[in-house]
Amino acid sequence: MPPDLHYGRWSPPDFSLHGHNIDQLIDVVHVFMLALFIPWGLFFLYCLLKYRQKPGQSAQYNPVKAKISKYAEIGVAVVEVFLLVGLSMPVWAQYKNDPPAEDERYTVRVIAQQFQWNAHYAGADGVFGKTDASLITELNPIGLMEEQDPHAADDIVTINDIHLPVGRPIYMRLTSLDVIHSFFIPTMRVKQDVIPGMEVPIWFEIDAWALSDDIRGNMTAATPIEKASWYKLRHHIFAEDVVTGDGEVMAAAGDHLGESYKAGTERIAELREAGVKELVMQPRHPLQVVCAQLCGNSHFKMAAQLITHDEAGFAAWQAAQKQAVEFEDF
Amino acid sequence: MSDHAHSHGDHDLPFWKKYVFSVDHKVIGVQYALTALVFLFFGFSLMMIMRWQLAYPGRPIPLIGAMLSGTLAADGVLVGDGYNILGAMHGTIMVFLGIVPLAVGGFGNFVLPLQIGAPDMAFPRLNMASYWVFFVGGVIMIGSMFTKTSGAGSGWTMYPPLAVTAAYGETIWLVGMVFLITSSLLGSVNFIVTTIQLRARGLSFFRLPFFVWAQLVTAFLLLLAFPPLEAAAALQLMDRVVGTSFFMPEGLVLSTVHLSHLSGGGNPVLWQHLFWFLAHPEVYVLILPGMGIIAEVIANNTRKPLWGYKSLVYSVIFLGFMSFIVWAHHMFMTGMGTTLSTFFQATTMIISVPSVIILTCLIISLYGAAIRFTVPMLFALAFLPMFAIGGLTGLPLGLTASDIQLHDTYYVIGHFHYVVAPGTIFAMFAGIYYWFPKATGRKMSDWLGKLHFWPSFIFINAVFMPMFFQGMAGVLRRQYDQTEQLAGAASHGLTLMSSWGAWLLALAQIPFIVNFFWSIWKGQRVSDNPWHATTLEWAAPSPPPHGNFPAVPVVYSGPYEYSVPGVSEDFCPQNVALEA
Repeated sequence: MPPDLHYGRWSPPDFSLHGHNIDQLIDVVHVFMLALFIPWGLFFLYCLLKYRQKPGQSAQYNPVKAKISKYAEIGVAVVEVFLLVGLSMPVWAQYKNDPPAEDERYTVRVIAQQFQWNAHYAGADGVFGKTDASLITELNPIGLMEEQDPHAADDIVTINDIHLPVGRPIYMRLTSLDVIHSFFIPTMRVKQDVIPGMEVPIWFEIDAWALSDDIRGNMTAATPIEKASWYKLRHHIFAEDVVTGDGEVMAAAGDHLGESYKAGTERIAELREAGVKELVMQPRHPLQVVCAQLCGNSHFKMAAQLITHDEAGFAAWQAAQKQAVEFEDF
Repeated sequence: MSDHAHSHGDHDLPFWKKYVFSVDHKVIGVQYALTALVFLFFGFSLMMIMRWQLAYPGRPIPLIGAMLSGTLAADGVLVGDGYNILGAMHGTIMVFLGIVPLAVGGFGNFVLPLQIGAPDMAFPRLNMASYWVFFVGGVIMIGSMFTKTSGAGSGWTMYPPLAVTAAYGETIWLVGMVFLITSSLLGSVNFIVTTIQLRARGLSFFRLPFFVWAQLVTAFLLLLAFPPLEAAAALQLMDRVVGTSFFMPEGLVLSTVHLSHLSGGGNPVLWQHLFWFLAHPEVYVLILPGMGIIAEVIANNTRKPLWGYKSLVYSVIFLGFMSFIVWAHHMFMTGMGTTLSTFFQATTMIISVPSVIILTCLIISLYGAAIRFTVPMLFALAFLPMFAIGGLTGLPLGLTASDIQLHDTYYVIGHFHYVVAPGTIFAMFAGIYYWFPKATGRKMSDWLGKLHFWPSFIFINAVFMPMFFQGMAGVLRRQYDQTEQLAGAASHGLTLMSSWGAWLLALAQIPFIVNFFWSIWKGQRVSDNPWHATTLEWAAPSPPPHGNFPAVPVVYSGPYEYSVPGVSEDFCPQNVALEA
């Protein structure tokens, strides 16, 4: 695993198999943009400095014979064809064509609604139970026919937690109950509008080493206390206990700064007064699923956390869910 | 005809006919420009409120927080619905009430008939109707913000089902749009007929100033692109008001309530196609008149002919044509397959070529020039790199694969704002400083103009440059509180920079406002042709009387005959025959 993973410097870290192709395209396009802009800007500045109006000197009436513009335009066209045919189209085809074979992939349904992501897993039998819109309640957000359909018995539904296995293709069936949402995992280079009235499948594969618990550890970073801001650290937890010189525990590992700007800012001030020099923190949920399409007044809050497991961990999680349901039945 | 020209004396008209319900293209142009400038400033003010919430989420807005309605704010803090409403109204106002009416209604109306040597537009009454229909549409749009729902809040794109299930602000928005579209249609027909029919003798198509070409292409875009949106707006209005389901599928469940009364069978993606079939050409409606102004100002202030005039003309025609077949690049993330997306990303790459040609022609025009750094020229020069940044950053968005990561992020916001804010709006400023002497007979102050230009140039970049980096980091658009997500929290410093840039940019407009009003009454009086320009509008008196030209002008030469060798003056007006 790359040692130093952070948000906010150029693009976020990438944990998907196809993602690095997209990143490469983005980088190549930006190099191309600079390669056009810089010489062009230098010529522009040269003209501004050199051709200021001076008394007794007139402008050239006859047009300069500038073959270079023709070459530049042909060059631009050639590079664009390369970007299109050489990079964008293959990457898009990789992303869109040929879904993974049914026996290789793990299939999960994601049902979006204002303002949450519901995930529906087929459970041990591998068959999704039927759903019915008229059964939808807050406790049964997708209207699963738990009593009427035997396949539904072992199904699992989670709200704003999406559990996925790493190292095998994920086949995700996306739909929406109400308005258009957009399923976006910034750290996986996956984005797809979620449209009511239709089910759109997407597929991608998460890097085999990208387990969310490991990633959290790898995203640990120290912020000097003078630079600490609640806005920047509001989703972070302490990586280890914060202990002052006289052994007092100011904050335990796993604590956060507070739920509001006011509380968080006071907490930072408290820690500074206690002599804490830097805050060593990590994101509580390092892999976020967010909504990229305006979907109402709480659109900005519509986020789920992605929890990635290896095969054994995923099976254990699934079994534990089943048990929990059985306990409830008693 | 001569009788008609004779009756053009305007001194006998009462005030309300001369300045309010006028059929004179110049009065209508000024009405359009002033109304649009007021709307632009209003739209900008909405954004300044939003930028507070982005910079300091959840904290009360100073000064005006307490004045906002209950739908917009609670205890002085902007609420989620309020943010969405201000965002949707900002977009709508800037595009449909600000830039289009200023660029087309204002500059087009005032300058185009003068530049082709016409006494007025072909249909003066239609012209007046166009302005007043626009005015009513504007009042409906702005007025909706003072009703109980405080306006529409589903984005300027009004995607159903969100827009159809929203409160009644969206209904008012749709009604307002029908007026605005109708106004543009009336105007576009008029521009096309005027340009084709009323050109002065000798003014062949390839002697037209580039500005006229840009307006002509724009008029065709408005004429052909707006009707589908007008139809779509009517359909969405039906969905909202009488319960049809053009854009609503069956089986919707809103907050656990099954909307079983919907007949269903509609498709929300259909709206997106109809909307963007208008709205992509609309992007060129926003930029082409600006390019036209820039070309005029650059030719005049480089004191030489534009380099590659014919390439410019062919490029602008090609741009207009291509703009009709790129619309679905706004919709790559709707689940588009490889075939369709290949077509649309290919057309999108093709459309970048004429833009590159236009920019190249304008910059090569600087080579060998005798540049006068006048205030309009400063804005025109700044337009070039700003538009280049806006155009180049369109590339990764137009390629489907890179769009996966960048779609709906701040990268998009940065991209199109570079095109329309330091792009088009700077072109508008260049145009105002350039043609102000024609409209008033007085020149705006150079000193205040420079005080307007330099801070505006610096701060507008402070607003928009950070957005590319935010977008790269994964910060999404239309987020009431960006710090709610990891990417937004990490790049919060950039948000602060944008916000402070925006507020300082507002301060930088004060010299302009002072200059504008001061110069109307106190500005330095100048001759009819203070910039020593060649095009026909400068052959008319300043301000031009009703009917424009004392004698119908005849055109002898191309539009940019500057620094012609062997001629004593460095410019040869189009209406003056060259000896030789």
